[in-house]
Amino acid sequence: MSDVIAKDDLLRLVDQWLAEGKRVLGPVKAGDGVILYAPLAASSQLVLEGFVHAANSIKEAVFPRSETIYTYKFNGHEIELSDVDPDSTQCIVIGARPCDAASLPVLDHLFNWDYKDKFYNARRAATTVVTVACSEYDDNCFCTSVGLGPAAEQGSDAMLLKAPDGWYEVRAVTDKGTALFNGKTTPAPEIKVPISDGPAKKFDTVDIETFLKNNYESDAWRDITMRCLGCGACAYNCPTCHCFDIVDEGDAAGGRRVKNWDSCQFGQFTVHASGHNPRAVQAQRQRQRIQHKFRIYPEKFGAILCTGCGTCTRNCPVSLGVLNTLEAIAAVARGSIEVK
Amino acid sequence: MNTPVDYVPFQARIESIVEETVDVKTFRLVFCDPAVAESFSFRPGQFGLYSVFGAGEATFCIASSPTRKRYIECSVNKAGRVTTELHQCNTGDVIGFRGPYGNWFPLDEMAGKNLLFVGGGIGLAPLRSVIWNVVDWRDRFARVTILYGARSVGDLVYKSELTAWQEMDSLNTVYTVDPGGETPGWAGKVGFVPAVLEEMKPSPANTVVITCGPPIMIKFVLASLGKLGFSLDAAYTTLENRMKCGIGKCGRCNVGPLYVCKDGPVFRCDQLRALPQEY
Repeated sequence: MSDVIAKDDLLRLVDQWLAEGKRVLGPVKAGDGVILYAPLAASSQLVLEGFVHAANSIKEAVFPRSETIYTYKFNGHEIELSDVDPDSTQCIVIGARPCDAASLPVLDHLFNWDYKDKFYNARRAATTVVTVACSEYDDNCFCTSVGLGPAAEQGSDAMLLKAPDGWYEVRAVTDKGTALFNGKTTPAPEIKVPISDGPAKKFDTVDIETFLKNNYESDAWRDITMRCLGCGACAYNCPTCHCFDIVDEGDAAGGRRVKNWDSCQFGQFTVHASGHNPRAVQAQRQRQRIQHKFRIYPEKFGAILCTGCGTCTRNCPVSLGVLNTLEAIAAVARGSIEVK
Repeated sequence: MNTPVDYVPFQARIESIVEETVDVKTFRLVFCDPAVAESFSFRPGQFGLYSVFGAGEATFCIASSPTRKRYIECSVNKAGRVTTELHQCNTGDVIGFRGPYGNWFPLDEMAGKNLLFVGGGIGLAPLRSVIWNVVDWRDRFARVTILYGARSVGDLVYKSELTAWQEMDSLNTVYTVDPGGETPGWAGKVGFVPAVLEEMKPSPANTVVITCGPPIMIKFVLASLGKLGFSLDAAYTTLENRMKCGIGKCGRCNVGPLYVCKDGPVFRCDQLRALPQEY
């Protein structure tokens, strides 16, 4: 039994959400034909079909680039601190790819172990994610190598699958997803959208984890990551990268304390006040990123900190990114690349 | 639990400031909220994030002893943006404090043992918290020895306390400065900390070592301890990698798979030996 919605009705529904004052985020065409997840002004902006892979990720819905965590005001010798309520505006992400949505349950671990981050959790609770299953993929996609796939439901509240003749099959995954499409779909027992196999598996995460455990000091890191510029584009656009900085912005009267995205690829990221830097060279920073994603995070939380979206590689000015790095690591592990 | 939530620090007023060296000051802080002042507790070795509003936050250990209630102290080397601002602060000024975070030196497990403190430079700050705690619980431990050194006499921190410890019958103290760092009146030793340690020939029997100092000093201290027959699982140290959140989120203080803010900052030296050199 399938439930379907016509594309026109879907777009009307998106406009209805906007009219209700909800924040709606979806893939739109920005300048130069680049597709970005961005707030929609109208459903007509939405890019749903074809190979849609935004250059950024949907993490911005739950973990914005910059977020005020409290404010301070100077009052003579006294200081007034004011809590900031987390933004809990209802937000619907429409047209996300399954690899983007899959980052959310992975990030839940980090923001909820030990101390629970109220900002992340408020946004997460207020966000409903509607994904579109993938029918096309490119050379940089590797969802199947990290245990996901073109219709993986992790992190989706509802999933749309493109059916023939302008219809979408709607699969509700969570109660939120059910509520969102309640009364908007039509039963269509005859429609069953086939799911593509997705990209061929490109490496084995168990092999990678074994290599990472046994080759912390390998010269392979230097050889493989030599061309990295340290720009951080991989981390900023990654759906799972979550490192942040905390800084003050203000003047003599007061200001705000802000949590900003940061990246382990920046040279200043770990530098001590003394000038000593535990990760002094770029290869160590690349190693940290890969170790964090494929060994440290899985050991700590039982989840790989990568969804195989390939966004890091597509954004990388020197064609590095997780996939190329892991393929090189796999080749070193097999002995087919010699480490100098 | 008295830890602040949601990144918002407790406010604390600077009650007094001691100039330890030309670039190190010790600040005594009293929480502005009497309820916080009353309920706040911590263990020796734990750290906090100190805020100078407008400049940001920086991480330091709590340098006072948990047995001395009502206030906390931190010793700060003027090195970066926040610490420079903090050095500009006067008594009466209000700063922020989030904490206590991290683990601590397991004093309970050290009961009945000889304690050997080996400190270098401002690395004495976390040891100072333990030392005063031990002084206040003196009958729980056997022989207590403090070896402390700095580059020069001028770089020794807690000078009046060094004298106080020296005068206590219950503590053995050895103070040293690096060659060339002595003054004409210097009565202590001249030599690097690891060399002086080897000269002292402490017995490893029933002894726990607590060490902190510059990374290079720790490295050679561990080598000297090895020569003296100490096992690494009887030695503890504390790390201070750069941190922003202090609560296992911001992603920068990890050394391999361990987060200094959550799994540390106190590590047993055999644990440390197993980790990559990213500290």
